[in-house]
Amino acid sequence: MTRKSRQTTRRIVSTLIIAVVAVWSLAPLVWIGLTSIKPQGTEYRMPVEYWPENPTLDNYRTVLGERFRIQRSVLNSVVVSSGAVIGTLALSTLSAYAIARLRFRYRFHTLYSMQIAGMIPPIVVIAPTFVLMRALGLIRTYWAMIIPNMVYAVPLSSFLIASYFANVPFELEDAARIDGAGTLRTIFRIVLPIAAPGMFSAGVLAFLGSWGEFMLANTVSIGSARVETVPVAVLSLSRAFELQWSWVAAGTVVTLVPIIAAVLIFQRTIVSGLTAGSLK
Amino acid sequence: MVADRAETRIGLVLVAPAVIGLVVLNYYPILQSALYSLFALDSSTDWLRARFIGLRNYRDVMQSDQFWYTLVFTVGFTVVAVALDISLGMLLALATFYVPRRVRGLLRAIIIVPWAIPKVIQASMWRWMLNSDVGPVGDIIVRLGIASEPPLFLVERVLAMGSVVVAYTWKGSSIAAFFLMGGLALIPREVIESAIVDGAGAVRRFFSVMLPVVMPTVYVALLYRSQDALRVFDVIYGLTGGGPGTATDTLSSFAYTAYFRYAQFGRASTYAVVTFLLVAVVGVFYIGRVRRTFSFRE
Repeated sequence: MTRKSRQTTRRIVSTLIIAVVAVWSLAPLVWIGLTSIKPQGTEYRMPVEYWPENPTLDNYRTVLGERFRIQRSVLNSVVVSSGAVIGTLALSTLSAYAIARLRFRYRFHTLYSMQIAGMIPPIVVIAPTFVLMRALGLIRTYWAMIIPNMVYAVPLSSFLIASYFANVPFELEDAARIDGAGTLRTIFRIVLPIAAPGMFSAGVLAFLGSWGEFMLANTVSIGSARVETVPVAVLSLSRAFELQWSWVAAGTVVTLVPIIAAVLIFQRTIVSGLTAGSLK
Repeated sequence: MVADRAETRIGLVLVAPAVIGLVVLNYYPILQSALYSLFALDSSTDWLRARFIGLRNYRDVMQSDQFWYTLVFTVGFTVVAVALDISLGMLLALATFYVPRRVRGLLRAIIIVPWAIPKVIQASMWRWMLNSDVGPVGDIIVRLGIASEPPLFLVERVLAMGSVVVAYTWKGSSIAAFFLMGGLALIPREVIESAIVDGAGAVRRFFSVMLPVVMPTVYVALLYRSQDALRVFDVIYGLTGGGPGTATDTLSSFAYTAYFRYAQFGRASTYAVVTFLLVAVVGVFYIGRVRRTFSFRE
């Protein structure tokens, strides 16, 4: 094959690849998007309608309106996830520093106990956690989601931040000490800036984790729309209005747009966090 | 490492908040679930007042066909779903390296989208895709002449099993792809180029040149995805609700229903503990790698 024809082949194959991947990855989203602009009542029309005859935004008006206020769930998710991230970063930065920077006798004990905790299936902890939250009077509050989610993200975050901390040359820290900087000053001026990208990735991953968390959120919000996060709200909408799927679709789109946008914006951070956070 | 007493003391203070959190919300609940499983607990979690029955819950569960069916389904689901996650993920990852640099970002953006979507919403989207009256998947199958009527994806047992695997893999393969991209990026260019010069075809090049280099990454992705699949809950709960009957129930989804619909806390805890043990088996391989990942202050 000549160079030119090989390039043409590559271009054609690449286009095909992108088309196939796009269909696989985006089809469910496109379908939800199309359903969301079908007039309510026509979404069950047969034969299957690939393009709505009379596209409308009425469904969005309905789910954003007084009756559903689906946007409230986005707000709830923002509150829960942000709260959890702040807590996670505080807990993990402290422990990562001890693990990676100190001559700390129990570093491996800590590291192992964290990794084991990170593997625990949610189903094993859900019932006692529910009982605990009920005993603390936190059922149907944000705290019942913020506190556990903040802890659930600690193993991955600590590991990630510790692996960034471990990259700061000890000579740098020692030199700062010799220059008379105190421990805290050394941490804030030398160590934290270098670990900042790690903390940022950890934060983004923790945010995503808590955004998608369903089992706990479903269990502790018990049907209270006031605190329902996105996954819980969308599922209860789809269960309650199985015959009004264009409403469900519009609700789904409203809740997905912000998180998809965020993931695309922070794509690089997420990927580098995932790669660094996984074991080599 | 020479542990330093003063630094160890500071270290203990620094890890204390995180460790206390993990003890209260991870370790204590596991022990509590294990305790629940030893009591006759129905419609109450007040185990102190319940009758202690030792391992009777385990014996009952072991003697029920339901348990063995669910266990086999959970493990079978994991094997199939993880195999698909990794192989599709590998194809996706290879694709991002094949396409010209100009469109690589676009392709990666397309692949990452499923990742953003909460699993239970992913399930509800697939529920609509697979609807046998107005879902596009069934319609396309009919139009292509593969079947004369849209298959009843969520009603027939085997099809329902296939459906949960597809819905799960939709997101799983995208996660695996990003893992494997990291591994593929580590292959030195010269290695691939010299294989091309030697006249190795694309398939041969992949299996004998690239795969051995990315094998460690594949291994980690395998462990990571297996743990996730063994405890699968959201996709099942949102897509089939374990149905038809309990045909697609996994240990987790079965336990959840037993807990929160039937309030059989003892029995549900037994299922939960078994789920934990399964994940722990995979975990043993995972934990061993923790130490090697770090180089610490000596």
